[in-house]
Amino acid sequence: MAGTLALTRAELRRLFRNRRYFVFTVAFPVVLYLLIGKQVKGTAYGVQWGAYYMVAMATFGAFAGALTGNAQRISQEKKEGWIRQLRLTPLPANAYVIAKVLVSLVTTGTSIVIVLLLGHFYGGVHLPGWEWPAIGVTLWFGSTIFAALAVAVGYRFAPEQVQPVTLMLYFVFAILGGIWFPLNGVLGRIGQVTPTYEAIKIGTDVMGGASVPFGYPLGLVIWLGIFVGLATVAVRATAETV
Amino acid sequence: MTYGTATAYSSTATGSATSHAPVVSFVNVSKHYGNLKAVDGLTLDLRQGETVALLGPNGAGKSTSLDMLLALRKPTSGKIEMFGSDPYHAVKSGRVGAMLQSGGLMPEVTVRELVTLVTTLQPKPEPVQTTFKRAGIAEFADQRVDRLSGGQTQRVRFALAICGKSELIVLDEPTTAMDVETRRLFWSSMKEEVAAGRTLLFATHYLEEADQAADRILVINRGRLLADGTPAEIKARAGAKRLSFKLDKLDEPFLLGLPGLVNLEVRHDFVQIQSMDSDATLYAVLDAGYRPTEIEVTSLGLEQAFLAITGEDDRANENEQAATATAGETI
Repeated sequence: MAGTLALTRAELRRLFRNRRYFVFTVAFPVVLYLLIGKQVKGTAYGVQWGAYYMVAMATFGAFAGALTGNAQRISQEKKEGWIRQLRLTPLPANAYVIAKVLVSLVTTGTSIVIVLLLGHFYGGVHLPGWEWPAIGVTLWFGSTIFAALAVAVGYRFAPEQVQPVTLMLYFVFAILGGIWFPLNGVLGRIGQVTPTYEAIKIGTDVMGGASVPFGYPLGLVIWLGIFVGLATVAVRATAETV
Repeated sequence: MTYGTATAYSSTATGSATSHAPVVSFVNVSKHYGNLKAVDGLTLDLRQGETVALLGPNGAGKSTSLDMLLALRKPTSGKIEMFGSDPYHAVKSGRVGAMLQSGGLMPEVTVRELVTLVTTLQPKPEPVQTTFKRAGIAEFADQRVDRLSGGQTQRVRFALAICGKSELIVLDEPTTAMDVETRRLFWSSMKEEVAAGRTLLFATHYLEEADQAADRILVINRGRLLADGTPAEIKARAGAKRLSFKLDKLDEPFLLGLPGLVNLEVRHDFVQIQSMDSDATLYAVLDAGYRPTEIEVTSLGLEQAFLAITGEDDRANENEQAATATAGETI
């Protein structure tokens, strides 16, 4: 465990050094919130637009922060042989993946906290005290779904394939999930099965005082199970080519 | 025209039969990729304190063998043990330090950060400064890993292999991309490691290096162990001397029957023989009444020995395949 933490610390140092990546993943939802959060009047998902958009952007940070950079890095490091080199050390076989997930939790956690603070102080969202951590923790947990997906994609695809694959997943989960704007109609109904939609809806239901249907948290757990399964298969399948 | 005798190079145990259990043992290990037999029934033992060179042409199965030893690949069949345990647990116990050609480095960190990180993962870490000195990387320790030259990268990889007090060091083509001076520095620091009682296994295709650094050489070709012995023994086994002369009336069957002959090549009136006993070979030629001219006897270097051993194996393989093909046609 000490070794895994040492690796995680080294990964964090890299992350902070690579400001472009960090700023981009953390700042993008923040900037969108500043631009759009107060411009739209009216309601979405039964709450004020500003409140909906806060949860949507926090979800955006959680999902994009876990998926995009991680998948690319994992794939690149696999290709360059760093994963192979680590396997020659006394570090347990799963340490690399654990460190990647922990680091992604730092990125997404930062992103979620900033957006929620912004929602409160800039967007004028006022909630009972317990709802903040409830929403934050739900989204933070939700980000592990995409950290698992990033591991699956990073192991499964070569670096030059990762970009189009993550871009496709990014758009599917962002648009169908109602992150950039709420969806209606057929697409909206299809979108209801996405984890991004489920995460946002948990947030807006909590804020709107509605009871959260059991299906949403269950959905998140099922997605996590699916992506952890895919990641496990991808890691095992490449065990001899890493 | 070339004749190869079907000499079998059997593997023999070298060194004193100590009571130590072998550091590494391969028992009938094979690795197949579809029809390709990358490693084909490899059996060998490494003992503590040995410096062993794994010598073979490209594609001989060197890297695959090392990968299996280091638990990066699973053998199709056979058994590998290291320190009496399976490869995975031996590697995780920190008793092995390894450097592979295919091993990469973590980008975006400095050399110092990387070596420090891998050192902290070791159960018995060496002081980082010691590693820097041994690997010759102190002067660029604060540079970023992704901005190093090929030779510098290779030295950092080497540093990662020696940053723990491991008992076995495994190196795959360690001096590739190193210049002459770095190579010299590398081998002198390796000798210190071995003098401290460590076992060293390295794969190489630099024969000179195997000859100078190793006290035991394993020659592998097409996944099989062809020869196992000291550099001197390997040279002897391939036919220690090369005897050449000119002869007008050639009698190939007679030449093939000469004592000590390992390999015969005939070009017009020029005869070249590899012989285990060049004196006996020459006397037999003279005793038969021949009077060869321009007689020359030269010692074979390791390179010729290596080429003789692997070349003979390749010819035997071709014959075998030809025979199989013929047999196939008759069926």
